[in-house]
Amino acid sequence: MTKHTVTITNRSNTKYEVDSRRPLLDALREQGVDLPYGCKYGGCITCAAKLTDGKVDQKRQVALNNRQLSFGYVILCVARAKSDLTLEIGVESHDKLYRNPFLDPLKQHELKPDIATSEEI
Amino acid sequence: MECCGPGYSSPQEAIKAPNEKLLYTIAIYTGTGIQKPDYLATVDVDPESPTYSQVIHRLEMPGIGDELHHMGWNACSSCHDDSSMSRKFLILPGVRSNNLHIVDTATDPRAPRLHKVVDGAEIKGKADLSGPHTVHCLGSEIIISFLGNAKGEAPGGYLQLDKDFNIIGRWENSMGNIKFGYDFWYQPRHNIMVSSEWAAPNTFMPGFDLEEVGHLKYGRELHFWDFEKKKPVESFYLGEDGLLPLEVKFHHNPDSTHGFCGAALSTNVIHWWKDDTGNWKWEKVIDVENEMHPEWPIPLPGVMSAILISMDDKYLYLNNWLHGDMRQYDISDPHNPVLTGQVFMGGLLGKAPKVNGVEVAGGPQMFQLSLDGKRLYVTTSLFSTWDNQFYPEIREKGGVMVQIDCDPVNGGMKINPDFMVNFGEEPNGPSRCHEARYPGGDCTSDIWL
Repeated sequence: MTKHTVTITNRSNTKYEVDSRRPLLDALREQGVDLPYGCKYGGCITCAAKLTDGKVDQKRQVALNNRQLSFGYVILCVARAKSDLTLEIGVESHDKLYRNPFLDPLKQHELKPDIATSEEI
Repeated sequence: MECCGPGYSSPQEAIKAPNEKLLYTIAIYTGTGIQKPDYLATVDVDPESPTYSQVIHRLEMPGIGDELHHMGWNACSSCHDDSSMSRKFLILPGVRSNNLHIVDTATDPRAPRLHKVVDGAEIKGKADLSGPHTVHCLGSEIIISFLGNAKGEAPGGYLQLDKDFNIIGRWENSMGNIKFGYDFWYQPRHNIMVSSEWAAPNTFMPGFDLEEVGHLKYGRELHFWDFEKKKPVESFYLGEDGLLPLEVKFHHNPDSTHGFCGAALSTNVIHWWKDDTGNWKWEKVIDVENEMHPEWPIPLPGVMSAILISMDDKYLYLNNWLHGDMRQYDISDPHNPVLTGQVFMGGLLGKAPKVNGVEVAGGPQMFQLSLDGKRLYVTTSLFSTWDNQFYPEIREKGGVMVQIDCDPVNGGMKINPDFMVNFGEEPNGPSRCHEARYPGGDCTSDIWL
């Protein structure tokens, strides 16, 4: 069993140990971290958090587009730690998660991974 | 004929019902940053009451993160002849959690209580469905449209419950070639059901990527069903005129074949009817022009997320969530609607930032009309993630409920200066109200056999 340390910067840098096989949402909630969530299968974005350092496996998420991924967003209900992590959680971390598409359109390469085209060079 | 079942013998009888005194609306904390359950709010709408225009009761759901959205009754006028049935339970689906909350509103109408929860995981396991939306009763049983399978992929299907809210299974015999689900309405005398298309839960739940419309991730078709055979028989491709066809409404008159759909992104009203040769036809009858925002590169559509038909079938109401206006059209000639009323409340064009002294975050979104057609109750939140994109200030300000006085004889709309429910001042912090219903049935619930 591999353990990693998660540091939550917007909760006074509190540290938690998590099992790399378990979704971060479950592992952190069990230790008393109050986290928003909805669908619990990686589709609805409610539990999004911002990863500022470290690596996760979130192959199962289908909610984030490439722009949101490039800002470091992770879907906690399906993401698992691959290293020690530094996270910002809750809606305070959602400053770059939402955008008005009429004001700020996505480029083709910023769409969700299943429909994005590769960035023009 | 005096009858003991729920509802009314006809739309004409429904119009004569006493004025509504209470109204239920759901209010959400999902997506707001406040870690509290969503709830069902009881609003006092009796002008003679000392608590008029206030939330007088809050029923919290057992869990956090449901995203309550639409709701429906266990029974309606379709059971008017069945004295064993009563309109006692309101069904509140959680779009994100998949849970169905069954709420008893009859024992104490002012203080509804939770009767039962149909577990979202059980629905996934038994019926492979997620993302519940529209609830209609079906004689003594209930069907609910779900927008996805258990993994949130389109097109989903329909869940059937028995009158005690046990899962029977899938209602439909086939989804045919339908790509997406959303709303539905049926007209039993013509053995017809019409369904519309939003998107897969995995597409719409995270928010609205406009760019995905061009990648065919959002719907643009209407589907006509053989209601008894429970399968689609004809589909209309609406194209650019029908992007995101959301709410579908038939005339209340059970003999009529006329119905309407609001295409949200195209901001058009689509009208359908059966012609003299027995064929279903469709046409665009209302087209709300896009508006330019002075600082934005892309023209702004109205986003017509809801439509409603008055109980006398004379008026159609629609919203433009992003422009900020509610409109009333005379549809006496359903082929040629005439604009008869318009008011602004909120919106992105800055035309009515304040209503009755309260700053409005959001725009007109869901609405419910009194049975007599005189009082229209309008709320401002669409869906938590979409709110957060277009109206980020709604986090701090919450939603509001406004009441518009409507003239059902000559047409016209005017905001009632004495009514304002500010969900920004709720005890647990700003929440967002959405669909509303009355204890005795309303203009979006009842179907006549």
